[in-house]
Parts: sequence; structure tokens; C-alpha cells
Amino acid sequence: MMALKSSPLTLRLLAFVLLLGVIAAVFQSFAPAYLSENNLHALLRHMSVNGLTAIGLTFVIVVRHFDLSFPGVASLGAMTLGWLLANDYSLAESVAGGIGIGLLAGLINGSVISYLRLPDIVTTIATGGVAVGLSYFYSNGTSLSENFFMSGILDLNDSKFLSLDMPVVILLGAAIVAFIVLHCTRFGRAFYATGENRRSALFSGIRVKAYVLTAFGLCGALACLAITLLVASSGAANVTAGNQLMMPAFAAVYLGAALFGAPSIPATLAGTLLMSAMLNGFTLLAIPYYYSDAIVSTVLILAIGIFDPKLTTLVGGLFSRKPAR
Amino acid sequence: MAAILDMKGIEKQFGVVKALDNVDFSLEAGEIHALLGINGAGKSTLIKILSGVYSKDAGTVTIAGKTVELGSPAAAIACGIASVQQHPELVDDFTGVENIFLGQEAKQAGLGRRVDRKALKRQAEQLLKRFPIEIDLEQRVGEMPAVDREIVAILHALSREHIRILILDEPTSTLTEREKTSLFALMRQLKSAGIAIIYITHRLEEVFEIGDRFTVFRAGKRVTTLTCREGRASQVSIPELMLDEKPGDIFPPKAKNAAGEALLEVRGLDRPGLFSDVSFTLRRGEILGIFGLVGSGADELSKALFGVIRPAAGTITLKGKPVTLRDPHDALRKGIFLVPGDRRTEGLTLSRDVIFNMTLAHLGKASVLGGLFRFASSRKTSAELAKRVALHPMTLDRPVSAFSGGNQQKIVIAKGLYRDSDIYIFVEPTVGVDIGARATLYALMRELSAHAGVLVISSDCDEVHGVADRMIALYKGRPVTVPDQRPSRDQLLSAGIMGARA
Repeated sequence: MMALKSSPLTLRLLAFVLLLGVIAAVFQSFAPAYLSENNLHALLRHMSVNGLTAIGLTFVIVVRHFDLSFPGVASLGAMTLGWLLANDYSLAESVAGGIGIGLLAGLINGSVISYLRLPDIVTTIATGGVAVGLSYFYSNGTSLSENFFMSGILDLNDSKFLSLDMPVVILLGAAIVAFIVLHCTRFGRAFYATGENRRSALFSGIRVKAYVLTAFGLCGALACLAITLLVASSGAANVTAGNQLMMPAFAAVYLGAALFGAPSIPATLAGTLLMSAMLNGFTLLAIPYYYSDAIVSTVLILAIGIFDPKLTTLVGGLFSRKPAR
Repeated sequence: MAAILDMKGIEKQFGVVKALDNVDFSLEAGEIHALLGINGAGKSTLIKILSGVYSKDAGTVTIAGKTVELGSPAAAIACGIASVQQHPELVDDFTGVENIFLGQEAKQAGLGRRVDRKALKRQAEQLLKRFPIEIDLEQRVGEMPAVDREIVAILHALSREHIRILILDEPTSTLTEREKTSLFALMRQLKSAGIAIIYITHRLEEVFEIGDRFTVFRAGKRVTTLTCREGRASQVSIPELMLDEKPGDIFPPKAKNAAGEALLEVRGLDRPGLFSDVSFTLRRGEILGIFGLVGSGADELSKALFGVIRPAAGTITLKGKPVTLRDPHDALRKGIFLVPGDRRTEGLTLSRDVIFNMTLAHLGKASVLGGLFRFASSRKTSAELAKRVALHPMTLDRPVSAFSGGNQQKIVIAKGLYRDSDIYIFVEPTVGVDIGARATLYALMRELSAHAGVLVISSDCDEVHGVADRMIALYKGRPVTVPDQRPSRDQLLSAGIMGARA
């Protein structure tokens, strides 16, 4: 316990692998198909959707803000994509349109929050609500799937690249780019500086407002890229498509941050893998999503609690005191 | 007089470091006792033991003849010891009264047990009757000047009636001369009420102004305890006692050569309510000092010169070209670097390491190919800068929050060195910095001025007078021209405090 508190990276990695192993063992014992090749593919595809959303959210969390709008924005992105496809736009145009809507929504969030200084939580709840409303605009709420076969969007889910599923390739690509930006460039430093001490970042010549704006823009755009993959896998665009993005994305970022000490791209990916491993297992056991969400949320709270340094010290103190006396 | 507190043979070890080595300390009722020593000398450790934050490894503590164990802050308070931290933690949105009685509010009987505001007010009036001091306690603490916050914190500490020993940790570090006077008035009130005050400060002149006795610490040992009268009579050099060496003048020599080209020309700079009609010229090769109390507009002026505050009128000319400073980003690009007055919130990202902070003001230089961070060369440059500013300890991977005030300031300066600016503006550069590190900082300023213009804005008159080649005073937002090139310290002081044109 004390060792965990001082937390060298290897120990944190070990904790992560252990946690993943426990999850896998539990589900394997209840559902023998859990570790089958087919299911692992499904798990990773599922992870791609949540992972992309969580990567976008990571930027917002790094600048110490909140975005609660991305599920609604993603629904709007999905419907925009579906509508563009149904109206004979090319695949590239349609996907760009969907992601563009997400980017736009994110930039609206960002500019309202950083330049007009409105509170982030209320603002993003509101823009999310607006986005949900707008998503009904295309079809009065019925799902869109015209032209899906012809357009080739399904290939985004089904095709492979170097024997990896396309969604996984897209996630890996996005993660690598995000990793480089956030951890290997001046921009990453500026994002972290903005989040950790906004005033000192401003006094260091960092354009903090622009970075907050960018973080929200990235979050909106990546949520819509994620929803594109979900639309591709389900074969239809739905007004409720984004509804299930919220909890896994927040859980992934916070679980990762709790495990690795701070929000970062690797931490978020680790968090997403744990979340998807659980959510996939519950799907396999045919546990309805409202129960699995509840269980996963409980796990999230426990995990954050366990890795909280204050609690670790407390528990560590309890254990180390006894043998001393 | 009988000793109210007697500490004998106190020892405290942190790892291999002996923070306190067989220290004796005693305190009499109704005395003001100053603790002196550079950072790390052991004075903070001693008061942390006394206030129950640390536990001692050895030794005894006797209060009013009874041996006590100060195992926790609560135990210390129960023994009648209260302390006020260097940065008192108050609730900004509460009034002075609410802050004073925070956690022990009088409750009304009945449903909800609401806070009895009338009773609180009555108690506050009683407290003010015990210690008459002029303060508006109905004001929100967030809107109070620094001295009133300090007074509220002290009254909070004294709101329990049995407190006999009060510990003040650098209470004057953020106060102006004028504000100090009212704090000292309160301290004298407390003294006459029989309360003993332990008082930590880095400013020696205050010790003789307010103190009865002082104790000097060095490297975990008590060097000496003298009454202030003895101290004055014997002509001992306190800095010498603190440093164990003859410290010479802490200020570097003045500029030898005539100042060069005009780097920064400010004409008629005006921002209603903050400062007005400010004009001066800063040249390469000189240190220009601006002496201004807190509230004189000096801090705001520095922010106007860094693009944070927009002046309403007036011109800023850089190397002959009139400019508008849009934001700090713009100011930095035009060659101005600000070492801000509040280094903890404005100067540093405390949770990050030295390299992160040193390179932050010029990320463009720290990266290649459109943004890729140069990890190796940043480390190398940071190491060189750390050596140049004599960072102690010389570790680059520590979060800057773990460094002492003086060394944090060195990191901010290194940040400016990394940016390689033409104009360096220092605001309150040595607040909370011990005397050893102060000399280093002044020397650094002089070194910087060889190739740049240095503007030092401070509410410490001695500092401005000691370090600057030319100086002006700022009084209520207006510059008071001090007639000749080198005014005496007293001329400068009266100009800044009373607006007097000598």
C-alpha cells in the first residue's frame, strides 16, 4: 500500500494489468465466450467508440473544464451523417459533415465558455439539449439508414487494415496523434499549463482562451468521429445514438487518471479498456444496460476512492501501524 | 516575569536532516518575541511543534509550569496556543465577523439551529472591546485589504478566550508600511492584555520596532536570544548571526556605465481609479525603481506594462516605436518579461517540475518542427539556467511547490532568462524571501541590467533604494518625482507614503 502511494510507473501498470486480469477472469468464468476471438474483436470495436470520445474529453478535463454536451452533439452528428448519406452525398462528404457539426458545436461551447466566461457545466448541458432537439429536425426522430449499403459506410466497421479491425485502427491513429500533441509538443504543455494554473499560464504568454476553445472543439469533433463508427456498426443513424457515450467516457478519463495519477492519453486508453472490458462482459451476460451502467459507475467510484492518495495513506497507515506496535 | 512557555532540549529529525538540535526556548507573558533565521534554520519547525503540527523527537514543553504534550493542533489550542499562518485561510465570501467565529458560531435554539447573527455581532464587539482596533468587520473578507484579513485571522485565533500564546508567521510580508502600523497597534494591544506573541519575520527593522526580545536560529540550533535593547546596545549584526559570515551589503553595486538606449518610454499612462499620468523612461543598462505601497497602483501599473490591464490613455513606446500591448503573449513577443508580484498564482505552475516552468514562457524556443518538444535540450538549458540563478536544491524534477520562496523566485527569473527579453519588470521580488537568497536575487537583477532594462516595483523602500540606479515613488496612482537622481532613503519613503515632494 505504501509503495502504491509513492507510485512508480511500473506499480501503476501492474495495478492496471491486475485489474484487467480480474475483470477478464470474472467474466470468463460466467461467460466462456468472453475471451473468444470473436468477442475480443467486438470488445475492441466497442472500445474504439468509447476511446475516441474519451480522448476528446481528456483535452477538456486537462484544461480543467467539463463537457456534458457531447452525447447530444454526437446524436446530432449521427443524424447529420445519416441525412447526408440519405441525400446522396459521398461517404467522405457525409463523414466530414458529421464531424464538422461536432467541431462546430464544440467551438460554440468553447467560445461561450472561454470568451464570454459562462459556467461550463450549465453551458454544455444547454448546448447538448439544443443539439438533441436539432437532431430530430432531419426526420422527426425516425432513424435514417437509406443508402447505407451503397455508400460504403459499413466498411468503416467491417473492413480490416493489417488484420486489425478498422475502428481499432482509427482509434489507434487518433490516440497516437493525440498522444504526440498532448505529451510531446509545446501545445500539450500549454494545455496542461492552462489547466493547472490558468493565471500563470496567461502570464507566461499562453493564449489560454484559445486552448480552452480548442479543447472543446476537439471534444465535439472526436465525439462525432466516435458516433460515425457506432453508426457504421449499427447500420442506421438514430436520434438516441449518443445517449450511451457519457458515462463510459467520463469513467474512462477518471479511472485512467486515478490509476496513473493524472489525466493523459495512455491513462485514458487504459481506462477505456477497463470500461469496455466490463461493459462488453455485461452485454455478453445479457445484463440490461441500466444495470451494467449502475455497476460500472460503482466500480468507478470505488476505483477513484482506492487510488485517491488521501485514502491510500489512510489505509496504508492502518496496515503499517499494527505490526509496528 | 514568569515564563509562560518553556521549551527544553527540543529535537526534531527529518530523514538525515536535523531540523532542530537541542533547542531551548522560553517565552514570557505579554512579550513579543521575534524568531529570526534564514529559510531552513529551524524556526518554522519550532512553531510547528508548538502548534501541534509536528511532534517532537525529544525534549519537554512546559506551559505555565505544567509539562504538556502537544500531540495535535487541537491539543495545542487546548493549551492556549493559537497560530496564524503566513497565508491565512479565510472564507472570502463571508464577512469578517463570520470568519472570526467560523466553526463556533452561536446557534439559535429551535428548528434548524440557525446561526444567531446578533449574538455573533455582540461577541465580535466584545472582542473589539478587548482589543480596540479600527476595522469594519461587516465587510466581506474577499474585499478587505491585506492587513484587515490578517487582523481577522488574528481575531479568529483569539476568539477562544483562553489563548495566551499567539504565533504569527510572517504577518507583514504582504503589508505596506501604513498597514503595518495598524497591525503593530493590534499587537501592542494584545501584549498589554498579557498575550505572548511569537513573531516570525524576514524584516529586521521590524524586530526593533515592535519586538521585546529576539532569538536567532541557524542550521537547527538556537544561536542567541537577546532583548532588543541589548541587541541595539551591543551593535551585533543580526544578518551575521543568521548567516554565520559577514554578509557585506546585500545590494550589488550601482551601474558603472551610463545607461544606454531608451528601451521603454511611458508617457501619461492613465487608468482611472488605478494610476494616472505615469511617465518614465527605462534605458538599457540600468535598474529603475518604482516605490509604491500596496494600493498605490504600482502592481496595476506593472500589469498595464504587460498587457494584462489596458490603459485608458497614454502611450507606451518600445525602442522608439509606439505600441499597444494586447495581452501577455503580445508583451512577451515584444520583449517584456514580468516577474509578477504573486509568484504562487501568477508566476509558477506549482504542481509541475522546474523544466516545465522554466520553458513555459517561450515554448516556441523549446520545440522544433512546428511544435515537437525538445526534451533533451530543454533539460540541458534548464540545468544551465538553474546553475546561473543558483537554484537550491539543484534538482530539476521536483515540483516547484517543494522549493522555498526565494528559490521559487529564482525559477521565475530563470523563466525570464529563457525568454531572453529586453525589459524585465520585477514586482515585489523578495516578499517571503530570506536574506541570503535576497542578495542573490539582487545580484541577478544587476546582472540582467547589463544587457537589458530592469524595472523594480516594490513596496519595500529599502529594496528600491538599495537596488535601483534611478527611482520614482508612486503615491495614490501618481508618480511623485524625487528631485535629484539619488534621493535619500527618507526622501523616497516620504514621497511614497505621503506624496511629499522633498
